[in-house]
Amino acid sequence: MSNQKSGEPNLTSVEKIKMKSDGLRGSLTDSLKDELTGALREDDQSLIKHHGMYQQDDRDLREERAQKKLEWLYSYMIRLRLPGGFLSPAQWIALHHIAGEHSTGVIKITTRQTIQLHGILKSHLKPTLKAFAIQRLDSIAACGDVNRNVICSAHPKQSRVHEEVFQYADKISTLALPKTNAYYEIWLDRESLTSKEEEKDPLYQDRYLPRKFKIAIAIPPNNDVDVYANDIGLIAVIENDKLLGFNLAIGGGLGATHGNKDTYPRLATVIGFLDTEEKILKAIYEVMTVQRDYGNRSDRKQARLKYTIDKMGIDQFKSQVEERCGFKFEPARDFQFEERTDYFGWHQNHEGKWYYTVFVENGRVADEKRSIKTALYEIAKTGKANFRFTANQKVILSDIEPGDKEAVNQILLDYDLIEHTEDASPIRRNAVACVAMNTCPLALAEGQRYLPALIGKIEPLLKKYKLLQDPISIRMTGCPNGCGRPYLAEIGLVGTSYGHYNLHLGGDRLGLRLNEKMYENVNEETILNILDPLLKKYAGSKKKYKSFGDFIHLNPALTPT
Amino acid sequence: MLSEGRLRALNDFIEKTSKEELIWINGYIAGLISSSGLKTSEAATSQKKFTILYGTDTGNSKKLALEFTAAAKKQGAKVKMAGMDTYRTEDLKQEKFLCIILSTHGDGDPPPSAKKFYDYLMDTSTWYPELEFAVLALGDTSYPYYCKAGDDVHQRFVALGANAVFPVQKCDVDYQDDANAWYQTYLNSFPVEAPKEALVPAKKVSHGKKWYTGIIQGNTNLNGHTSNKETHHIEIRTLEPILYEPGDSLGMIPKNKKSTVDRILQMVHIDPMLSVPYKGGGHTLLHLLTNVLNISFLKESQVQKYADLHEHEIPKIRMDLIDLVRLYPVLHANLFIEFITHLNEQTPRLYSICSSPRVREFEMHILVSKNTFTAMNEVKYGLASDQLSGFEESSSIDFYIHKNKSFRLPSPETDIIMIGPGTGIAPMRSFLEDRDAIGAEGKNWLLFGEQHFTSDFFYQTEIQQYASTGSLSRVDLAWSRDQKEKYYVQHRMLEKGKELYEWIQRGAHVYISGTRSPMSEDVEKAWIDIFYTHGGKSAPESEDFLNELKESGQYKADVY
Ligand code: SRM
Ligand SMILES: Cc1cc2nc3c(=O)[nH]c(=O)nc-3n(C[C@H](O)[C@H](O)[C@H](O)COP(=O)(O)OP(=O)(O)OC[C@H]3O[C@@H](n4cnc5c(N)ncnc54)[C@H](O)[C@@H]3O)c2cc1C
Ligand SMILES: Cc1cc2nc3c(=O)[nH]c(=O)nc-3n(C[C@H](O)[C@H](O)[C@H](O)COP(=O)(O)O)c2cc1C
Ligand code: SF4
Repeated sequence: MSNQKSGEPNLTSVEKIKMKSDGLRGSLTDSLKDELTGALREDDQSLIKHHGMYQQDDRDLREERAQKKLEWLYSYMIRLRLPGGFLSPAQWIALHHIAGEHSTGVIKITTRQTIQLHGILKSHLKPTLKAFAIQRLDSIAACGDVNRNVICSAHPKQSRVHEEVFQYADKISTLALPKTNAYYEIWLDRESLTSKEEEKDPLYQDRYLPRKFKIAIAIPPNNDVDVYANDIGLIAVIENDKLLGFNLAIGGGLGATHGNKDTYPRLATVIGFLDTEEKILKAIYEVMTVQRDYGNRSDRKQARLKYTIDKMGIDQFKSQVEERCGFKFEPARDFQFEERTDYFGWHQNHEGKWYYTVFVENGRVADEKRSIKTALYEIAKTGKANFRFTANQKVILSDIEPGDKEAVNQILLDYDLIEHTEDASPIRRNAVACVAMNTCPLALAEGQRYLPALIGKIEPLLKKYKLLQDPISIRMTGCPNGCGRPYLAEIGLVGTSYGHYNLHLGGDRLGLRLNEKMYENVNEETILNILDPLLKKYAGSKKKYKSFGDFIHLNPALTPT
Repeated sequence: MLSEGRLRALNDFIEKTSKEELIWINGYIAGLISSSGLKTSEAATSQKKFTILYGTDTGNSKKLALEFTAAAKKQGAKVKMAGMDTYRTEDLKQEKFLCIILSTHGDGDPPPSAKKFYDYLMDTSTWYPELEFAVLALGDTSYPYYCKAGDDVHQRFVALGANAVFPVQKCDVDYQDDANAWYQTYLNSFPVEAPKEALVPAKKVSHGKKWYTGIIQGNTNLNGHTSNKETHHIEIRTLEPILYEPGDSLGMIPKNKKSTVDRILQMVHIDPMLSVPYKGGGHTLLHLLTNVLNISFLKESQVQKYADLHEHEIPKIRMDLIDLVRLYPVLHANLFIEFITHLNEQTPRLYSICSSPRVREFEMHILVSKNTFTAMNEVKYGLASDQLSGFEESSSIDFYIHKNKSFRLPSPETDIIMIGPGTGIAPMRSFLEDRDAIGAEGKNWLLFGEQHFTSDFFYQTEIQQYASTGSLSRVDLAWSRDQKEKYYVQHRMLEKGKELYEWIQRGAHVYISGTRSPMSEDVEKAWIDIFYTHGGKSAPESEDFLNELKESGQYKADVY
């Protein structure tokens, strides 16, 4: 195992870029001034990710623009840093206007409880980030080789100590924030710090982490955050309404590359229990430093913590962490996941406050078939509800006082969102699709623009076999990177080429078991022809299995291995 | 350069050597050469003339192509760079030396933007015995089909009779060093060429207009689909080399619309084939109305002439003939015949040529803005620009060259400032292409403006290329509607006034093209302001200075 700091022979170009970037500044200011192109200079395209933005282009227009001697239509996606996914009404109102003035106008809720805006032109970046800053919102480290948005079980009704657990998301996010002042200088025109001393970054040093780092906090029995898909998973241990501490799981990650067997999804492994906040934060910090020092920096496809752990061995990795913490993990405490869901419709928490989880298909808040965007804007203007996002791209109108419930309910009625939420089939409500076309440069096939239509063709099959009320989990991504966590669904569709997907089956409904790739490069017609008989057999033996995924998993003969 | 036998020996040797060894050998030989062990004749490098063709998806191959082009130009080579997405495969026939940089994407596929070129190559049966090519393939060893697209293209060219200067050079994700080493070897592999004889000397043009016929080779609306304009880049292939200089214009005479002429003939009930005397010549009425006469927006005097002849009361306005005839019916056929003899001939329309004769011998380009206006509260289009915008590929066009001796490039070492908003960029593109082709050392500064950056940046990719290879040293842009308040080139000029004045003092020539008013007038006011603020001149002195520049030919305008 390489033990030197960064003395590895062939560092990837991204590593070199990070190290000579003077705290992620690079030549971003010059790139912004270059008015000849809507793009950034080469190196700045990787650096800007650490500021929470991606350079993209409208892939549908590439051909046409090339003929017109125009460069690709470059624009930027901005992803906010929202630990635990929380916005106040005033912040939502600001978001509404910023989206309208600077972006495509569509507010996208992501699978990590935060918000993305697309289609922002280079000249609009600074005004957008300044407008967010007024509402104390930023996009620092929402992307790049740093700790990403920390997610947490979303619904306050989950537990009486939800608020206490929810606070951890912000604490961890602040603990792992890069120290550089670059974001404030470049985007908010704030004065640069007099001394570089204040910017010294003991955690990230000058090279940051070998790859992105993701942390999730789950409150059993609901695994709505898919805790095992994260580099670090915290599983709250609660007894008679008292938070005793967290079980810690490490090494989760779903990204893979077609045809490259050295890349694979991996579920996090539980390594022990810690009781005090101080120990928990210290353990998280040291897991990151061990990954920083031992992660693979010469091949980005082998850089995630999951690969570091599989090469080093979980016990060796755990003892490294314990050594740096100066304390040992206690044995993991018992816990049980029984569901992975968002609680749609009206619910109350222990304080009697009301919550309404709105069905927003694939997290796209827009005024299309239904005016979801206007409805949420109206609700925000009443100031009667906060906005909490779920890890499945939905929004919960939150912390509504009993006296205010009726007013919020009326707006939901006026815009048919009650009907929209209640009438959607369980499979459609729980479905997840990634962004993919036409903004994601890595997409090989469609994601959010296609899954709703495919579900429309699956629903008749479910109806035929009286399975329409069965909340089968179906998830689709445009490539194997797994942004919609397709490997943790009963039906997983992973894009291989336009209109074609690998069909994964056999995953459970709780996110505890990875599914298996069973059919390669299949189109819609083949997918439906495969699912029809399987659903029929599943319906026939419904009593015996907890889910369609379990049915497939326990009957291997039905599908090719 | 190498005899047949020695070349085959070299290729056998290369086949058996690993990539690391090749790189070492290359470095060794390069060292030998530079330490004057082996002298490359200086002449050899300057004669080089080759094309770099790249296929990219995430920009790496394009970045290399830009670097290689700049490097070759510094050594005086004549390099043409093109992307596979816009390259015309017919041009492959004329290529002698082709350097291909191609990445692999998807699952061993060519990048999407290179698909068209790749598919052409795979399907064509055209034979390329003259072609000398080399392929640099970008890829990633973590993919099963490593650099497959590069391999495919290499094997396909060999199968089509072309000869490979090297085996495929494959580069993993960290391609920079391998690519540079490979390119050095590629540059050194060039055979020495006899210098090409000078271009066909420009014959003296007889005073009568010489008409040419050209074939439309391409007609592209350069505006993005969200633009509220339509501006067509039209490429005309000529059957013989055309004698023109950058700064000249193409002249053409538009035909009147067939539907309009037919409608008029219907209303006047006259036999279209009737022969009508006009300015000494005899033409049929149909020919006169279609090809000779201007029948739109007739002058007031002509409208009144019509009124007198047909005893109508018509208000003092300008009108199209079709409206005149419709609203005030013709009394008698021969009265109409007499009237049209008073009409003028169709005025020719001019379009600045935006290509250089030195770069494109059998080809000329123009940039035509589809003129739109409202008349009689109906949206109408300018006759010629509408016609030109509608030209299909391979249709023919008759034209002549309108010389403009007062809009010529200065000597190659003189700096120039080009102010060409809108279609005013057309002559500037010709200037740039020309100066780039002859490697003129004079610095070039372009100021361009239009409505929106994303949809109206004419020739953006070419301008980017000129800027990155150094042919353009300064570019300043003004987008009038990308922000609340209007922002034009003159506003940008005032911001850069100090430097503009410095260039003028160092003898830079100024060129302005585009709409006469308000643009060229506002630009002149801006210059006067600059001389006042940065030249330390009083207001009248500043105005005089501008006039002096005009008289001395240091300030040239071609506005319309
Ligand atoms: C928006 C989102 C999908 C959605 O529709 O919700 C998303 C969108 C993108 N992901 Fe993701 N990922 C999103 C959650 C995930 C998840 C799920 C999760 O975190 O629970 C995964 C799998 C878990 C994991 O990380 O392994 C995921 C694994 C990836 C990967 C593969 C990483 C790897 O280790 O191989 C990439 C590609 C990369 O990083 O090189 C990626 C890259 C991307 C990019 C930024 C494409 C790019 O690199 O240029 C996508 C932007 C598309 C666009 O136009 O918006 N995204 N991405 C999710 C935003 C999360 C957030 O707010 O931070
Ligand atoms: C040296 C020179 C270079 C040029 N270079 C370029 C160039 O590079 N690109 C380019 O696009 N143009 C160029 N032009 C302008 C071009 O020559 C034409 O003037 C222009 O295209 C309009 O011609 P048209 O036949 O389309 O419009 P026309 O039919 O001639 O109409 C022109 C205008 O006349 C008026 N008009 C016409 N008919 C009516 C009517 N029925 N009622 C009311 N008003 C009417 C309108 O205002 C209309 O806009 C150049 C001109 C010159 C002199
Ligand atoms: C989605 C994707 C698929 C790729 N597939 C291959 C492949 O099949 N074979 C290969 O050698 N390289 C593959 N690559 C690597 C690229 O060829 C490599 O990154 C190259 O530098 C890209 O050059 P470009 O930026 O000019 O497109 C792939 C890259 C991406 C992003
Ligand atoms: S899964 Fe692939 S296609 Fe979908 S958003 Fe992520 S990177 Fe893009």
